[in-house]
Amino acid sequence: MALRAPLRCLRHTPYLARPLSTAGTSHTADLHAQAQARSTINDSEIAHFSRLSALWWDEQGEFQMLHRMNPVRMRFVREKLAEMALEDDGDADVTPADVLRGKDVLDVGCGGGLLSESLARMGANTLGIDASPSNVSIASLHASADPALAASTQGRRRGALAYQHTSVEDLLAARGPASFDAVCSMEVLEHVDNPRAFLDSCAQLVKPGGHLFLSTIARTPLAYLVTIAAAEHVLRRVSRGTHTYAKFVDPAELVDFFRAYRPHGRPWIASAGAPARTEAETRGMVYVPWDGEWVLAPRGAAWAEGCNYLFWVRRPRE
Amino acid sequence: MLRSVARRARHAGRRRLLSTAAEQTDSDVVIVGGGPAGLALASALARSKLVQSNLKITLVEAGDLHKVREWRQEPGTFSNRVSSITNSSKAFLEDIGAWNDVEQSRTCPIEEMQVWDGISDARITFAASEMPLRSVSELSRLTENLNLQRGLLRHLSRHPEVLLLDKVKVQSIVREEREENAWPVVHLSDGRAIRTRLLVGADGFNSPVRTYAGIQSYGWAYDTQGIVATLFHAPKSSLQGPNTVAYQRFLPTGPIAFLPLSETASTLVWSTKPHLAGALKTVDPRVLAGMVNAAFRLPDVSMRYLYDRILENPALSAEEFTQELAFRERSDTIDVRSAYSSLGAVNAAGIPADDADMVPPLVTDIQPGTVASFPLRFSHAEAYIGEGLGARTVLVGDAAHTIHPLAGQGLNLGLADAEALTKCIEDALLSGGDVGSYTSLLPYARGRYFENHKMLSACDKLHKLYSTTAGPVVWARTVGLEVLNELDTVKAALMMTAGSERARQPGQVGWELAAKGVETLAKNINGARDLASSVTGLVDAGLRQLLQRR
Repeated sequence: MALRAPLRCLRHTPYLARPLSTAGTSHTADLHAQAQARSTINDSEIAHFSRLSALWWDEQGEFQMLHRMNPVRMRFVREKLAEMALEDDGDADVTPADVLRGKDVLDVGCGGGLLSESLARMGANTLGIDASPSNVSIASLHASADPALAASTQGRRRGALAYQHTSVEDLLAARGPASFDAVCSMEVLEHVDNPRAFLDSCAQLVKPGGHLFLSTIARTPLAYLVTIAAAEHVLRRVSRGTHTYAKFVDPAELVDFFRAYRPHGRPWIASAGAPARTEAETRGMVYVPWDGEWVLAPRGAAWAEGCNYLFWVRRPRE
Repeated sequence: MLRSVARRARHAGRRRLLSTAAEQTDSDVVIVGGGPAGLALASALARSKLVQSNLKITLVEAGDLHKVREWRQEPGTFSNRVSSITNSSKAFLEDIGAWNDVEQSRTCPIEEMQVWDGISDARITFAASEMPLRSVSELSRLTENLNLQRGLLRHLSRHPEVLLLDKVKVQSIVREEREENAWPVVHLSDGRAIRTRLLVGADGFNSPVRTYAGIQSYGWAYDTQGIVATLFHAPKSSLQGPNTVAYQRFLPTGPIAFLPLSETASTLVWSTKPHLAGALKTVDPRVLAGMVNAAFRLPDVSMRYLYDRILENPALSAEEFTQELAFRERSDTIDVRSAYSSLGAVNAAGIPADDADMVPPLVTDIQPGTVASFPLRFSHAEAYIGEGLGARTVLVGDAAHTIHPLAGQGLNLGLADAEALTKCIEDALLSGGDVGSYTSLLPYARGRYFENHKMLSACDKLHKLYSTTAGPVVWARTVGLEVLNELDTVKAALMMTAGSERARQPGQVGWELAAKGVETLAKNINGARDLASSVTGLVDAGLRQLLQRR
C-alpha cells in the first residue's frame, strides 16, 4: 500500500516544470514576479525537519547518510573550484585546501550546519540559512563549541561562520543580488515548493563568474526504490516522509532550466548538447553499503546519476 | 522549543566563558602517550603542512622525554627492548623525514630468517636474496626502541609547533558540560586542563583514554612470560657472512628468538612458562647463556631435563651446568664438532662446521642488567573510535591492541596505525571535516581494524599451534612448513608484495605467509576433529534409536 501511491507519482509531470510549463519562452520578469509572489517554503517540510532537528549531529542516527555524504560534496565543491581557478588563470597557484579561503559562500537550507561548518573550516566566510528556526538554533549551538568556527578567531586563517533564520527570497531582498562567490544548496531542492522560483533566487545571489552548487535526487524508479522504499520503509534509516517522489528533479531538467535561464541576456548554459565543462556539470554520487561510504562517480557516468547527484553551474561573467 | 534551545545555547556559552577563566586551553589534537606510536603520530602530523596550518597538536607523556632525547649507550652495548622495523614501517619513517634521525649505526638489517619446529626440526627459511625485486635488500631492520624514540624526538625538536608536555600525568578525562557537541577535557597533574577536538589514546595497554571512551577490550593473558636480554657472542667467521640472520625456534613452552644487533651482539626474546621464566631470570648469567645455546640446539627431552636442573637448584654453578649439558649432548649423540654442540666449538677459529648456518652463534656472555621479563597477552579493543559519551576519541598502538611478540609486529602495527590516522586526518581536513568526528575517523578504523586483527589472530594461532606436542598436530605442522619452504615462487611472490607494495600491505615479510600456511593447517586439523566427533555422534545416536525401538 505504501508503494502504490508513489508509483502513481512515477507518471507525474516534472515538479520543476509545473509552475511554469513553458519554461523556454517565459520572461525572466515573470519569474521574478513569481518568486516574490510565492514563497518556496513548504510548511510541512519545515515542520518535519524541525521535529528531527535535535538529531542532526547524531552521526550514527537519522542523518548518518548525510554525514557520510558530506566529504564527497565538499570534494566536488573543492575540485570544481580548483578546476575553474586554473581555467581562469592557467598560471594560478591553486592549492586544493585553499580554494575556498576568503570566499563569500551561502549555504541555503543548512539544516544542522553539516556543510556550513565544513565550508567555514576550509576558510570560506560562510552564511548558513534555514527556514526552520530550530535547525538554525541547533546549528549555532553546535558551532559555538568549536573555537575554529567562532567569528572572533582573528589571526587564524579560517573563515567566519554565521547562521540566519530566513528564506532565500528574503535574503535576496535583504542583501540584493550578486552577493556571494558561491551558493550551495545541498539536498534541499527536493524539499521546496516551487523549485523554479527557488533556483531563480539562489542564482540571483551568485556574483558574476560565481558558482552555484546543488545536490538532489533524480526522479527515477531507482531513486524511489533506494531513497523511499528502502531507506524510509524497509531499512528505516531515514524517517518516513522525508522524501516526496514527485519533488525529485532529474539532472537534465536542471540543465534545461539553466539553458533557458538568461536574466542578463546570456544563458548560463549556452552550448548545445551536453553543457561545456566550464558551464555546468552533473556528477552521480553512489552509496556503497559494504564500505559504508559514498563515492563520487567519474565525470560523464550517466548511470550514476539515476539517484543522488551533484550539480554545478557557473554564472557567466559580465 | 526554540526559546529553550536558545537559552541552552546562551547557558553553554556562559559556562564556556567560566571554564576558560580557569587554567584551560584548547588543542585540536591531544595525544596521550609518548611511546613509539604516539611519537610517530606526532611526528607524522608535524610533518604535514595541511595539518600544521589547521591544527594545534599537543602530546602528553608521564615520563621524562628529555632522558629519552639524551639517551646514550656505550658502543657495543645495547638496551634490551628491541624491535624489528619492517620495510613498510621504515618507508613510513622515511616519508615523514624521521628515519635519518634514527642512529643508523645502531640498527641492523635482517637479510635472512630461519624458523624451525622445536619438536620435528621442520624448517622454513626466508631470505631477502630470494626476492626477485632488487630494491629490497633486507627483510626488516632491528633497532632498540630507545633509538627509534630518540630519533622521533629529534625529528620533533625541528617542529616546535607540536607542543610536548612531559613529566605530567593525565589525572582525569571528563566530558565538558554542554548539551550539544561536548568535547573531552584532559586534566593534567600540574593543574592544567586541555579541551580537545580529538583525543588520541597512545597510552598503552591500560589506556585511560580507552576507559574514558567506554571502549571494551577483549583478550586474555597467555600463560607465558617473555624474557629479553642482550647477548654477546664471537663474530661470525669470514666464511659465514655477516651476523644478519634472525633465528627462531618454536619450543613447546614458547618460541625463542635470536635477533642480531651487531657483529658481536644480538638480542634474545624467549617466551616461556612463567615458572621457567622466573628460574631463568635468577640463574647465573653464564647458566642463562648456556640455556639459550641449548634451547636452539637440543631436543625437547633434553631441554626438559635442563629445565628441571635449574628449577631444582637455581644456584647451579656454570661448571655444574656445563657438566649437565655435556651429559645431555652425549645422550643425544651430538658430535662436539657439530654446530649443534654448545661445548666443542666455543671460540674455535678456523673452518666452521657444515651446519653452522642452521643455528645462531654461540652465546658467550650476557650484557649485565639486561635480563628482564614481561607478561604476554592478547588484546584487541572492540572499536578504535569512541562514540556517544566517549566521542572524539581514537586509539592507536598498544591502547588498541597487544600482540604476542613471536612475529615482532607489535611496534609495526602501532606505526601503521599512526600512518593511517595521519592520512585520515589529512583527508578530513581537505574536505573541511571536523577531525574529531566519528565520520572523519571512520576510514582509519576501517583501514586498520581488520588488518590488525588478521595479524593478532595469526600470531595467536601460531603460538597455540606450536605449544602442543601431540603427534598428529606436530606431523601436520611439519609437513605444512616443509612444503611451504619448497614453494620458492610462492614465497618470493609473497615476500615481494610485503616488501615493496607497502600501501596495500604493511610488510610482514614471511611472517604472514608462515602464519597463513599454519592457519590453514590448523583449520584442517580442527575440521578433521569436528568431522570425527560428528561421525561418532551420528553412530551413537543411530545405535540409541535402534536400542529404543527394541
